[in-house]
Amino acid sequence: MLIEIDHLTKRFGKFVAVDDVSFEVRPGEIVGLLGPNGAGKTTTIHMILGLISPSAGEVRIFGKPFNAHRQEILEQMNFTSPYVAFPGRLTVFENLMVFARMYNVREPRKKIVELARLFGIEEMIRKPFARLSSGETTRVGLCKALMNEPHLLLLDEPTAYLDPQIAAHVKGILLAMQRERGTTILYTSHNMAEVEKMCHRIIFMSHGRIIASGSPIEVTQTILNEDRDEPALEEVFLHVAQRRANNEAA
Amino acid sequence: MKRHRIEATIMRHTYEARRNLDRILDMVYWPVLDIIVWGFFTLYLGRGTAMKPGMISFMLGAIILWGLFFAFQRDMAVGFLDELWSRNLVNLFSTPLSVSEYMTGLIAVNVLKAATGMTAAALIAWGCYAFDIFPQLPAFLPFMLNLMLFALALGIVITGLIFRYTTKIQGLAWSFAGLLMPLSCVLYPLKSLPSVLQPVAWMLPTTHSFEGMRQVLAGGGFSRGHFGWGLALNAMYFVFAIVFFRWIFESARSRGLLVKLE
Repeated sequence: MLIEIDHLTKRFGKFVAVDDVSFEVRPGEIVGLLGPNGAGKTTTIHMILGLISPSAGEVRIFGKPFNAHRQEILEQMNFTSPYVAFPGRLTVFENLMVFARMYNVREPRKKIVELARLFGIEEMIRKPFARLSSGETTRVGLCKALMNEPHLLLLDEPTAYLDPQIAAHVKGILLAMQRERGTTILYTSHNMAEVEKMCHRIIFMSHGRIIASGSPIEVTQTILNEDRDEPALEEVFLHVAQRRANNEAA
Repeated sequence: MKRHRIEATIMRHTYEARRNLDRILDMVYWPVLDIIVWGFFTLYLGRGTAMKPGMISFMLGAIILWGLFFAFQRDMAVGFLDELWSRNLVNLFSTPLSVSEYMTGLIAVNVLKAATGMTAAALIAWGCYAFDIFPQLPAFLPFMLNLMLFALALGIVITGLIFRYTTKIQGLAWSFAGLLMPLSCVLYPLKSLPSVLQPVAWMLPTTHSFEGMRQVLAGGGFSRGHFGWGLALNAMYFVFAIVFFRWIFESARSRGLLVKLE
């Protein structure tokens, strides 16, 4: 297994953000981590990255416990989220150079130009990061995420600020990476159609717990408790969110 | 520790220093302004009859060294604040970068920045006020080392506090050194402090550096005693700073503050 999450729990005081979560991700899989806001997806991703320490449980990546092998593991993985940023006064090129050095990339200039071209931001490379649009900053984050040619990629809503055409282009790149290099991807998104298209398997979370996992059709059938021929993750999402709202109102 | 990750941190802060006018001002403007103001003041004092010989050198030397201490302490904390203000922390600490690699890179950049400011101030003191610090540098270097070690320990503690209490206490980055200035005997000897404050002042490595500097300028030679005391105190404060920072960093990870600081 590439990722093994074993009884992972995170408590902030009395609030349980992630509650006894266990799952595994196989090499080369694209797995979607879904759920309404506050389900515990981002906290889980942050624990996988070591940014938040778990209250209980263990994270193993590439077969090794994260805490004991943090640097070795993080050298082979990467992460991006449109909600984190880069220093605004530095140009796109300078920001990417910093991360190229961080990952000890050979021929960093060539790599940066190659990635900028891949994501269509080569013309912005000399611009300060602060002057970019949201869609452009998302693409800089994706360039950073592919800088070290990671075996494992954690993507938190990678297409959130992208227009449909660029989002489709980005999804194409990610699918090609998975196909050609066997990159494993753990993916969160609120775009259910995108998740159905991209992910081999879904882990659906609510209130910090996993409520269903499997292929999109299996998750649809489990949560809606109906026989379906086609996945309907949008309906599943609305169903879970409504159930949650009802519980909170009660 | 991996060299390339330390270099990446150095690159990040060098780019920032080049592109950010605030950092350029911090580096050169304040040390130069300080030496100009104090230089005029010493010229004024020099015209009086009560001025002791060497007083001008004491004051200008002290201002240059205090500038070094203040700049180094401030830049350690501001370097980290730059990551907070730019919401770059998650990007940095989701790479294999360790806290010690990050701190080492930051120290390297800040040594260069503080040295640049000190050199600019020293050149102005030499050109405008005929105070030449450069021949004294070999005897001053151990005291400067002690000042920088203490500034580093303070910078680490303040950075730790910012981890825990976020930008609410960012003012400490600029103000904390000022709190220590009256007790550090920068412009006056230790014995001129009220006797109740002298033991407290004695516990500050800064006091020993300025006492040692005055002894050198007065022609008394290098003071092993003041250097040794300063170094021993620094060792104690440095160990405390590292233990405190590790504890507070783990506490910040546990509370999820590292991602909420964004």
